[in-house]
Amino acid sequence: MTQASTTPAQPEKLTRSGFLRRWLGGLSLALVAGLAGATSWKSKRKTQVWQLDPHKCVHCGNCEHACVLKPSAVKAVHAYVLCGYCKLCGGYHHPQAKNLDTAAESQLCPTGAIKRTFIEDPFYEYTIIEEKCIGCGVCVKGCSQFGNGSLFLQVRHDRCVNCNDCAIARVCPVQAFRLVPADEPYLLKGV
Amino acid sequence: MRNPVTLILTAISTPVILAAQTVQRFPRPDFESDYSAPLLTAPAARWFGWEYLDVLLLILALALAGHLALRRRSRRGLLALAVFSLLYFGFWRQGCICAVGASQNVTAAWFQTEYLIPLPVLAFFALPLLFTLFHGRTFCAAVCPLGAIQELTVWRPVKLPLWLNHTLGMLPWVYLCLALLFAATGTGFLICRWDPFVGFFRLGAPLSMLLFGALILAVGLFVARPYCRFLCPYGVLLGLCSRLARRHVTITPAECVQCRLCEDACPFGAIQARPGVYFPATGWRGTTTTWRWPCKWSRPMPGHPPD
Ligand code: SF4
Ligand code: SF4
Ligand code: SF4
Ligand code: SF4
Repeated sequence: MTQASTTPAQPEKLTRSGFLRRWLGGLSLALVAGLAGATSWKSKRKTQVWQLDPHKCVHCGNCEHACVLKPSAVKAVHAYVLCGYCKLCGGYHHPQAKNLDTAAESQLCPTGAIKRTFIEDPFYEYTIIEEKCIGCGVCVKGCSQFGNGSLFLQVRHDRCVNCNDCAIARVCPVQAFRLVPADEPYLLKGV
Repeated sequence: MRNPVTLILTAISTPVILAAQTVQRFPRPDFESDYSAPLLTAPAARWFGWEYLDVLLLILALALAGHLALRRRSRRGLLALAVFSLLYFGFWRQGCICAVGASQNVTAAWFQTEYLIPLPVLAFFALPLLFTLFHGRTFCAAVCPLGAIQELTVWRPVKLPLWLNHTLGMLPWVYLCLALLFAATGTGFLICRWDPFVGFFRLGAPLSMLLFGALILAVGLFVARPYCRFLCPYGVLLGLCSRLARRHVTITPAECVQCRLCEDACPFGAIQARPGVYFPATGWRGTTTTWRWPCKWSRPMPGHPPD
């Protein structure tokens, strides 16, 4: 009995709220789609990736620790055209090194990631072994202070996972990080 | 492309910048041997097809989640999909890009002239919202990797008092406003910075962030999905869309016997009695339980009155 008397009101009430909901639903559908459409004008088919500008970098050491990857996606790179091929290398040799040799205690790099190759008297070539490099920038600092500044740091894109918000960019003291087009992902020195 | 002023400025400033970093203290040697310097290696960026594959998988996962939740009503299926999302969007793709953070990119695209948003990021922002308008928050149920990691670590969920649930539920609004403000002004991406689980996905993060993530998971053992319910800024937008969704997960009124055990069983406190819906199984209509999981505002499932 109660059922019979109360049922008729039911469909009408639901229809009204259902109708409103339909409308609002459709409206918000148009809103989200419109927002996406409008934003796509600001979009770029080419992806951008993070890179650091070696001309701004002051080799503060953050690149080694701040990256979300361990070891860091940042590595030292050598611009050979700028290098003086010196026997005493500001990036390779420890300032207090007794001998200009390849002994571990003569080397500046904490991981021994720089290979020294004799070319001809008195020139030596210095190569970064990337697997060993941790991006600490110690060699870069030495090279900038005492050498030609041919060693510099770069985000290596075979490693970088291209974070939405690069963790190093946040803490870089000189804002050396910026987004660059993915098809030209390096900011090199000496080219 | 470059205007004359920029060129002049660059010309003036370049020697100054170079002086700080690159000083040709030692001349480049003239080699007598036939030495030629190795080329600078420049490994190419990752394959960006991944990003489009991500979008494709996102669409498939969203469609499947809707199917599993609404048609199959399969809890097991949703859990399996959540495991997949956790493995793929979380551990394999390392949590980037995610829909939760993408709202910042969209804001940045609007407010910062120089910022260009990549299309896949835009898709990650918009698709879950669009799907929610049809299916409810199925994105949260099984597609979001942040949600999945919490979903799989719920152990003994307790029911929070309603007032506490509501009060904490205001936090995401505050977080969303702050995050969008930060993104609009170019101050940074708060959501990415405070993403509690991305450290786990990448198997490495600063200790503080790992601890934050562990804390949230630990709380999540008892208070199910704390990040989703009390922090997630994207959840605010999803919740708004879900409110207007065409379909929702509902309790089948034809079978419901009003034992109301489900109100206690829902780990998210999302099932609450609501007046005004008719239940044919018992002829009861005073209040109804509406399955509002895991969103806060779904509509009551209308029962069909007997002919
Ligand atoms: S954080 Fe900036 S300044 Fe420091 S090493 Fe990296 S790029 Fe250079
Ligand atoms: S984008 Fe991420 S992975 Fe790449 S350098 Fe920055 S923090 Fe490291
Ligand atoms: S000193 Fe640091 S940056 Fe230079 S090669 Fe060694 S690990 Fe890499
Ligand atoms: S509430 Fe946020 S974190 Fe949780 S599942 Fe939804 S989008 Fe993901």
